[in-house]
Amino acid sequence: MPGAALPERPADERPIRARVTLRLAAVMAAGAALLSLLAMGLQYRLVDLRMTEAQRTLLAADLDGLAALYEQRRIIALREAIDYRSATSGGEEMFLLLDRGGEVLAGTLPSWPEGLDAQGQGFTVDPAREILVNGQPWLVVARNLPGGFPLLVGRSLAPVDQTLAALRHGMLGLLVAIALAAAGMGWLAARQVMGRIGRLNDLADRVAAGDLDARLPGPRSPDEFGLLETHVHQMLDRIANLNRATHRLSDTIAHEMRTPLNRMLGRLERIEGQEEVVNEARAEMRQAIRVFDSLLDISRAEADQGTGGGLVPVDLSQVAGEMWELYEAPAEEKGLIPRAEIAPGLRVLGDRNLIAQMVANLLDNAIKYCAPGDSLTLTLVAADRHVLRVADTGPGLPDGMGEEAFERFTRAERDRARGIKGHGLGLALVRAIALRHGARLSLPRTDRGLTVEIAWPRAPA
Amino acid sequence: MSDRILIVEDDAEIAAAVAREVEALGCAPVHRDTLESGIAEAAAGDYRVIVLDRMLPGGDGVEGMARIRAGGSRALILILSALGRAANRVEGLEKGADDYLPKPFETEELRARLRALLRRGTMQVLDNDLMAFGELEIRLRARTVHVGRAHVAVSPKEFELLTYFARNAGQVVTRMQLLENVWNLHFDPGTNVVDVHVGRLRRKLEDAGSQAIQTARGEGYVFAPLPPAGA
Repeated sequence: MPGAALPERPADERPIRARVTLRLAAVMAAGAALLSLLAMGLQYRLVDLRMTEAQRTLLAADLDGLAALYEQRRIIALREAIDYRSATSGGEEMFLLLDRGGEVLAGTLPSWPEGLDAQGQGFTVDPAREILVNGQPWLVVARNLPGGFPLLVGRSLAPVDQTLAALRHGMLGLLVAIALAAAGMGWLAARQVMGRIGRLNDLADRVAAGDLDARLPGPRSPDEFGLLETHVHQMLDRIANLNRATHRLSDTIAHEMRTPLNRMLGRLERIEGQEEVVNEARAEMRQAIRVFDSLLDISRAEADQGTGGGLVPVDLSQVAGEMWELYEAPAEEKGLIPRAEIAPGLRVLGDRNLIAQMVANLLDNAIKYCAPGDSLTLTLVAADRHVLRVADTGPGLPDGMGEEAFERFTRAERDRARGIKGHGLGLALVRAIALRHGARLSLPRTDRGLTVEIAWPRAPA
Repeated sequence: MSDRILIVEDDAEIAAAVAREVEALGCAPVHRDTLESGIAEAAAGDYRVIVLDRMLPGGDGVEGMARIRAGGSRALILILSALGRAANRVEGLEKGADDYLPKPFETEELRARLRALLRRGTMQVLDNDLMAFGELEIRLRARTVHVGRAHVAVSPKEFELLTYFARNAGQVVTRMQLLENVWNLHFDPGTNVVDVHVGRLRRKLEDAGSQAIQTARGEGYVFAPLPPAGA
């Protein structure tokens, strides 16, 4: 596509800002939650081990006591001791002593738990096992004392489980609280950052809208954002200076060239008797000024490209109609078949004078190259963008020439050969004016002649 | 008493050339070469027209116009400037100039502009529907043109062209003036578009028997509907 259009701005920035903020908040929340989960998991494991170990130590002490009694008076002493302990037990201890026939001699249980095999004969704490009795967890030691007396000694693990359950609850609550706090902090941090970036974006928007002198108010803060703002300001200052210099330069050039030309013209008029030579010299001067003005117009339009400054609502249909009115007659005089279809009331943001100049250049160009019998059509239709099209059935562009036709000083060899005058600035100015208005310029393929199409952004209602 | 015209121009040679034209029109030229002295002189003297340069020592003439007006001057202002691109011209006119002539100018062009401004100063607004020049009659409200009893069919633009000629009857009107005043265009279209339109109008009038539009030597046309014998 010839002539890049303005980059489209996102329709709305708020969703973008919200997304970044949310994403940062979610990342913060997830990160904090993961870290605290790890820390709490380690702690939980430690508590579990220590508490189980404590029960095991108690169990070992019980066994030591029973062992001492057994040393003295064997089963009888055990039985008495177990009876006594069972009566005073707080429900956290388990004892059971059976006789050779499997009858209960003493203990806290009515019978031997199913599926539990006695292991070994001594009173050591190893091996101990964890079993469930009536749904409660116990750490037990099951032994077969010499002579066939099964002994069961245990300590309840229920307090351990209860503590761990309470710990789990606490940890879950803490985890939720940490995640929420982290999300909140992430949100706030993102809001802060996005706010600072938003200020810069707003500034860029104002500059893009044509206000080159826009700056952020207040002092710069002594951080990276402040530095970024300072850099942006320096860049804008530089652009503004360059812009001013360009404008000053073009004014100065105009003054320094036209003033002496004016004196020359004055002296030419005093020459008498050589009218033809004088008229030729005048025409040359006028042509030189036209070229020079076109170059300045092109560079000015290019410098203002992309800035909306200075553009006002213009009735594109009206301007196109007026220019058609001006050029229809010359086209007829040359024997062309002119036709126009202009949809009424199409408005764009623009500079009437530049748009008129652009349409004039296109029509003038077409009339210059077409021969009697060719058709010349101007159409303006409303679409997604307003499309202005100038189509002729003339010679078209030479083979191989495409968008270069819009470069400055591009002229086809055959025109020089045919003696068609020009400097190759007409279409360059057309392109510069199109870009100034954010319009897209294209050369649709046609069977015959040249078609130039300009798609204008609509004026906001 | 002759009309006074103030020339604010820093180039002596151009100022002298303008002064010669002013004198040729029977007016008295006064020359100032800085913006400040020009503004002071505009307030002091009673001027019909001020010919004002733009890039003057002391500032831009276009920016000085408001101060000239504020000083009480009722003169018509013709900007005569090297800032001659269409954008410059539109800017000057939008900021209140009555006419804008880019340098380099041809003397005929300057003379035509000065005459038009002097006429504008004296022209009385006639509450008159009919503009009659001998056989040729223009009815403004009905937008019709007659030569004798014959109706001349003209397009809306041709009618505007003819009324512009009629308002400047007897004076040379340049192509640039026509483009600016009839078509409201401030750039040089390069080709002979104006000639084509004037030619068509002229043929229509000639077919009806009027020789009102004549080519003026050099720069433009003159609307001279009455035979010279009457002058």
